[in-house]
Amino acid sequence: MMRWPSPRTVRRLIGVLILVLWEAIPRLGILPELFIPPLTKTLHVLWLDRAIYAAALLVTVYEVAVAMLIACGAGILIGSVVGGVASVRRLMLPVFSSLYAVPIVILYPVFTAWFGIGSESKIVFAGVYGFFPVMLSTAAGIRTIDEQYLLAARSMGASLPQLIVRVIIPASIPTVLAGLRLGGALTIIGVVVSEMLTSANGIGYLVTKNRTTLDSPRVFAAIIVILTLSVVYDIAVRFIERRTLVWQTAGRRATGPQAARVALPAQAPA
Amino acid sequence: MQHVANVSGARTEAKAAVEVRGLSHVYAGRDGAVPALEAIDMKVPAGRFVVIVGPSGCGKTSLLMMLAGLRAQSSGAILIDGRPIDKPDPARVGVVFQEASLYPWLTAVENVEFPLVLKHAPRAERRARADAMLNLVGLDGFGARYPHELSGGMKQRVSIARGLVQDPPVLLMDEPFAALDEQTRMTMGHELLRIWEQTSKTVVFITHSLTEAVYLADEVLVMSARPGRILDRIQVDLPRPRTYQMMATEEFGALRERIWQQIRTAP
Amino acid sequence: MRGASLIIFRLALLAAVLLLWEALPRLGFVNAMLLPPLSDVLAALVHILGRGDVHTSLGVTAAEVVVAFVIAVPLGAALGILAAENAYFGDIFKPMLFYVFSIPKSIFLPMFILVFGIGFPQKVAYAAFSTIFIVIMSASAAVESVKAEHLLVARSYGATQAQILRRVYIPSMLPILLEALRISMIFNFTGVMIAEMYASRVGIGRLIADWGENFEMTKLLAGVILLAAAAMLFNEAVRSLEARCSTWRT
Repeated sequence: MMRWPSPRTVRRLIGVLILVLWEAIPRLGILPELFIPPLTKTLHVLWLDRAIYAAALLVTVYEVAVAMLIACGAGILIGSVVGGVASVRRLMLPVFSSLYAVPIVILYPVFTAWFGIGSESKIVFAGVYGFFPVMLSTAAGIRTIDEQYLLAARSMGASLPQLIVRVIIPASIPTVLAGLRLGGALTIIGVVVSEMLTSANGIGYLVTKNRTTLDSPRVFAAIIVILTLSVVYDIAVRFIERRTLVWQTAGRRATGPQAARVALPAQAPA
Repeated sequence: MQHVANVSGARTEAKAAVEVRGLSHVYAGRDGAVPALEAIDMKVPAGRFVVIVGPSGCGKTSLLMMLAGLRAQSSGAILIDGRPIDKPDPARVGVVFQEASLYPWLTAVENVEFPLVLKHAPRAERRARADAMLNLVGLDGFGARYPHELSGGMKQRVSIARGLVQDPPVLLMDEPFAALDEQTRMTMGHELLRIWEQTSKTVVFITHSLTEAVYLADEVLVMSARPGRILDRIQVDLPRPRTYQMMATEEFGALRERIWQQIRTAP
Repeated sequence: MRGASLIIFRLALLAAVLLLWEALPRLGFVNAMLLPPLSDVLAALVHILGRGDVHTSLGVTAAEVVVAFVIAVPLGAALGILAAENAYFGDIFKPMLFYVFSIPKSIFLPMFILVFGIGFPQKVAYAAFSTIFIVIMSASAAVESVKAEHLLVARSYGATQAQILRRVYIPSMLPILLEALRISMIFNFTGVMIAEMYASRVGIGRLIADWGENFEMTKLLAGVILLAAAAMLFNEAVRSLEARCSTWRT
């Protein structure tokens, strides 16, 4: 009996298949070029207009970077406090979990009214967008740090600053990295969505602009740039996470009610 | 029949490394005050190996926490090396917990020198001490390993090395082998006795296991269920060094039986 | 802090926020053009709730939300169960699923517009597309959460597949399924909103985007409050249902 190919191989084959279809389907006239221009044409157009796309990408990356500072900075900080301090957690966590249900995108018109259609509104929006999931994820992650570590350190005569610097911070790194990965992905999503909605600049804006002129190859070129950005970021963070793998499983309480509960990812819905 | 006075009377002239006088502890529970420990008296001469045995929830871990200065008692005095203790003092008291609690982001030797890092000791000195301790516990050459690369028994050895790195006269151990399988437990017990004999520390050791208690101890303190009181102090006069064969002797069995009787029939 | 004092504290916090919202614009600390006082916004809320066009818009949006949900959930659940039951299928697609979550799905909106034009089908299709992935992931997680031991015990007592389904899988998965439903609805609602705000002629998303463009801040904020309240209400309702079914969970 023939052995099934490994899942990885199948995934690669599927990837290749998608690329082939992307080229073949429009060229063979199965679907109009308006719906999906051939891959080669899209890439060609991307190359032709590379200066425009590069400039737009720069704007987008800038907005993502600043928004990430807000979302991850505030998210991790506040998440640590909310998760770590029992009284704050009991008070605020249910409130934040409820707010998570609200589609943040409805706030975007408010931000454009307040900050204009330039980068500021995108940054604020993406910052808020990324904040809640990062905060919730950090709050959850902080609680998995083993209390025994603190007890052991206290028995060794550690002072409070030493506890924070030498135990809590190193033990929190896996949680912080997960928060960064989440926050980065979400701020990219937030920036792209807001650029598509109301903007004068950025890659998202290029998507919208070219759609309204029915320039499908350029729309797809922009889509390719965004996909690349997302994937590159994800790969980069996963690489960093793998380097610190030694801490990831070892530092947590592996048993107990926290782990028994199947955790659905604290993603943001776009 | 309860002994209240110091049973190890023959050695009263030796300085008591660990002394507890009239210690009681009450904590605030959900429905009012809960007495946890009652009128505990202990006097452990220097260099003795004392084991505390008792049912779950009897407060033996709390007692150990108080000896370590990690928790404050409601009333009564604790003297370590002749001086009271009210906060952790790793130069006087080393603590080994049930879970090794090694920091996963540090190597074995870095874990052992951690207390010295907290004291801002110079690098060369603390590395030398840590290496010496690893050698003592039989882990020479394993210093560069991370905790996730070590077995349960090895992790506990590192934990013991860490407790000893500042050369405290007293070592407190809270069921350190409870998480290990039986065979490793027996080996570790044997190892511990070797380390103890080499370093002449005073050891206060908590366990559930009657066998472990008799095998390791010079003296066994039997505690009652909550509120924890000392029911009996049993001298273990088996010759040292202890061997596994002793576990099969009648004397060993009689001691075990005596402890079990005390626990089982306590009011 | 115990139960009652917790609630009081939260109410106090809410009251403080509302108070600031009223006071700051009125006292001139905040530009009242950008952030109208709370009372004005509440008045606008009452006003828009009475308008016929708002009713129609809400109806359109609600329809989109429901239809998209009804499409995405069964389809996603089927795929998710397949991914969990068939290890091979799961191994192939699960890693891809994780990548999908990092991608802004909104970039595919133009494709939906190109194919469906601008209208009801386009928005529903996009929202369903937005939602289906989290449904797949949740369903898969739910099936996997059923402990192998429970299944083994049931099978060792000779339970049939149907009995195992009814007596082990479903009670075990119910809380997780409810949570999955709740989170999927969040994704769904967001998808509908994005589609309406991006390219639509009707719907409440379109309305608030227009109000924003025309600087009609009271109506815009009123709309935001309305939608936020609706979203949170649904969320809490499902959450309390979850809690009721979860009493056996640790």
